[in-house]
Amino acid sequence: MNRKLGLRRSVGRLWHHFFFHKMTEPSELAPTAQVSNPASSPPEQAQSATENSQTLPIRDSKPTQPTKDAPASTDGATEKPLSPAELKKKAKADKAARRIQEKLAKEGGATGSTAPTPGVGAQARPPTTPKKDANGAASAQKGPRAPPPRRGSGPLAQTGSVLVEQKKKKDDKKVAVFGHLYGQQRRVTVAGATKEVHHAILALGMQLMDYTICGSSARCVATLIAFKRVIESYTTPLGTSLARHLTTHLSYQITYLSTCRPLSISQGNAIRALKLFIAGIDPSTPEASAKTSLCEYIDSFIREKITVADQVIADSAAQKVQDGDVIVTFAGSSIVKQTLLLAHQQGKRFRVSIIDSRPLFEGKSLARDLAKCGLDVQYSLVHAITHAIKDATKVFLGAHAMTSNGGLYSRVGTALVAMSAKERASGVEIPVIVCCETIKFTDRVALDSIVVNEIADANELLPMSTPVSLVVRNPADAYVPPPPENKKGGNRAPAPEPPVVPHNNSSSPLANWHNTPNLQLLNIMYDVTPAEYVDMVITEMGSLPPSAVPIVHRMVTNL
Amino acid sequence: MPSSSLALTPGLGSFLKCLKTNPIDTSIETLISLLKRRQIRHSRSCATATAYLLRSVISACRTADSAKLIERVQSVGRRLMAAQPREMVVGNIVRRVLGLIRDEAEDDRDAEFALSDIGSESQPQTPRAYDDPSVPLDRDSPSFRSDDRSSRPPLTSMFSLLSHPEPENSLPSTPGSSSPIGRFPGHAPSKDVRAEVLEGIGEIIDELGQVDDQIAAYALDHIHSNEIILTHTSSTTVQKFLLKAAAKRKFTVIHAESYPNNHEATHATISGSAVSDDDNIGLEAFQKPLIEHGITVILIPDSAVFALMSRVNKVILGTHSVLANGGLVAAAGTRVIARAAKVHQTPVVVVSGVYKLSPVYPFDFDSLIEYGDPSKVLPYEEGDLVDLVDVQNPIYDYVPAELVDLYITNLGGHAPSYLYRIVSDHYRKEDISF
Repeated sequence: MNRKLGLRRSVGRLWHHFFFHKMTEPSELAPTAQVSNPASSPPEQAQSATENSQTLPIRDSKPTQPTKDAPASTDGATEKPLSPAELKKKAKADKAARRIQEKLAKEGGATGSTAPTPGVGAQARPPTTPKKDANGAASAQKGPRAPPPRRGSGPLAQTGSVLVEQKKKKDDKKVAVFGHLYGQQRRVTVAGATKEVHHAILALGMQLMDYTICGSSARCVATLIAFKRVIESYTTPLGTSLARHLTTHLSYQITYLSTCRPLSISQGNAIRALKLFIAGIDPSTPEASAKTSLCEYIDSFIREKITVADQVIADSAAQKVQDGDVIVTFAGSSIVKQTLLLAHQQGKRFRVSIIDSRPLFEGKSLARDLAKCGLDVQYSLVHAITHAIKDATKVFLGAHAMTSNGGLYSRVGTALVAMSAKERASGVEIPVIVCCETIKFTDRVALDSIVVNEIADANELLPMSTPVSLVVRNPADAYVPPPPENKKGGNRAPAPEPPVVPHNNSSSPLANWHNTPNLQLLNIMYDVTPAEYVDMVITEMGSLPPSAVPIVHRMVTNL
Repeated sequence: MPSSSLALTPGLGSFLKCLKTNPIDTSIETLISLLKRRQIRHSRSCATATAYLLRSVISACRTADSAKLIERVQSVGRRLMAAQPREMVVGNIVRRVLGLIRDEAEDDRDAEFALSDIGSESQPQTPRAYDDPSVPLDRDSPSFRSDDRSSRPPLTSMFSLLSHPEPENSLPSTPGSSSPIGRFPGHAPSKDVRAEVLEGIGEIIDELGQVDDQIAAYALDHIHSNEIILTHTSSTTVQKFLLKAAAKRKFTVIHAESYPNNHEATHATISGSAVSDDDNIGLEAFQKPLIEHGITVILIPDSAVFALMSRVNKVILGTHSVLANGGLVAAAGTRVIARAAKVHQTPVVVVSGVYKLSPVYPFDFDSLIEYGDPSKVLPYEEGDLVDLVDVQNPIYDYVPAELVDLYITNLGGHAPSYLYRIVSDHYRKEDISF
């Protein structure tokens, strides 16, 4: 929670982009131009399309290209008559390419070279372009340079056929077992957001996207606060009632947020509760008072479900800490931090051993905060679990969620820590205590970590912090901006060399992994700790065994 | 550091170079300092360096008296082991050389009685006797050895090794045990203990050179089509094992990156851009990586091991050294992986050369663990944090025997409970604590 808020400078910059494009929006049909020339069969098409992209100025500084009336007949191939079969085939290829193009434009709109190539096949497209798409591509065209790189930037789109290839390549990079989790490509910029999305949500999206706001409760609180701002600036359109329309309005925001990063269980639960409350508002209530009551509801929800709940949990968890304890914890959980600080304030003398993991290194900030408050802190990484757990007496863990079968769904690596606590060499098991608000309970079940998970961008695993430079194909093609100031305070491994390097001589052997066949990088965010490794779940409703999760969840949601 | 090695980074290469040019005492000092400074790291490099050094020591030692040889080797061995007590292969090699000398001494005594009988039997080996024992056996010698093996089946087959009536008299791990040559009537048997020991060391060196390939020969027995194999660290033994299977079968490898001590090497190994560092001379420098054999390699951070274990068919691990009780000392993180595998009922296979098998019994696990550079865990850029917290970076883990299902050595596959037997085959009782 302490990490949230505070806009990144880059967010502001992107904002500027966004408004700029919204205001000028030069050519609604910009993306129509980009697909391919209409009259050649697919193999030729690939060639000519690439040729086009080479000969024509992709990155034109003039913002308004007369795209619409660019004559397609400039291309000699158009004149050639085509058999119906050929036409059909071509149309199919076109469509596939377009679909991919749209998708990429949506997710990576402003990454640079989605810029349309003028002069090709404008009439091959139906004129009905989704507005969303237009925004994305327009901004791409207008942007004089690529936006600052951020984690998870998608590859640059060039032309339709290249895209198909890239798409195939990308599929290669998907780990088959987790195929079901790759579903939605993550958004990388604000470009392409619908106009209904409130600016507070846009900002929040950026923060979620690059882990500035990280952690289940922090994300939940930040979302609710952003929703409050959305509601404050909301006016019910004529002819509808607030109870009816606000839900749809919020769903735009929710969709946007979920494209930035898949929603957490806590976010989902909070949104569900909020929607329920909105649906319960009497349509006859005047808008102003309805909004006030909504804002009050949100405030009290945050207070009740998170702020006070955290205090209650910290209170009862701190009681479990005794003098002389060695507490092991994994990564950085805000509630565990609160607990340990409280126990320290109560004058208990104990040692904390923090186990941290790549690539987020969340434990570092926890270690810093605890050490600054005078606790005795030991810090090690996942490889040293056995050593850290050797003289531990208790394990405190935070949770992303608790599943209905008692599993603890938390940052990947948690299961290793819990397992080590239960299977120690000495044979003495040590208690594993989970601190978790009931808002994080879910009715989903998970037998293992593959059923439910979140896949983060694999580029985060690279030892360097310049993911964009890795996907830029030609340095002359796109200007690689200087890397963003590292906000996360060294959340990465130290870069072996200055990060501003041309991509082709970067030192990491994995730098080129996107183009290396058969090599996949997998960066999952969570794992599921089986219920038998958890001794106690401390919630604001009391301390429970993991088997009580479904009952409590039912009680909480039915209230 | 001797001047001759200035051009090279200190390591196995520079040491071998220095061994050729410098007097023996300088070489001993060099190896001791290399070990102390951890400039020579990998088990195999240490073993090779020790074997070469002992060969020089013995050839420099102008005596035919085996007792004096033993004494000399023991004194050098003690110094080497004191330099780096956790590098157990050094002790292993010293013990094997001592065993060689003792064997030769005993054989000589026996040979005096049995000379006439055996002379005709070892006749086919005539060419071998002309080998200059001081010249190291080349890498092309496996063919030679296999001839050797086939010509003397009763002495070298696994079966006869195990059922050998007097195991102390032979050195089963080196199939071309040098004793028959000594019995060749052309040699003066009782006087040439030294030459035979040198030859024996040559064979140890030879074994070190091809141990990975011998282990890899068992790969097809253990890796089958469409399996998912999980491994850890950039161990060349494991890589060769997988590569051998990759030639015939398609499977998937999940590779935990072993951050922070070995992740760079792991990344390099899986992407095939491995730089041939000084310690891995020659052999594997030009090895094609698994991905080029069409094997899908999935790199994961160490933390994701538990999450993926439910889909893994087999865990294949390299090791630093193997202990007499079947436990092993391996790269940090191995233990949680093995434990996670146990929890998921996934078999854990450890591949290791016999030279890593140590007669040490782990009474005190902590003494086996080496701690490394903490700045790899918490870089000095985080100055404020470095001051405040206690950072640990263990390099090794002790993995108890019950977490391992199978050992594959160059002699074949063994249950962990069987290892004590191989230990007693390889090291003589009197050398275990010398």
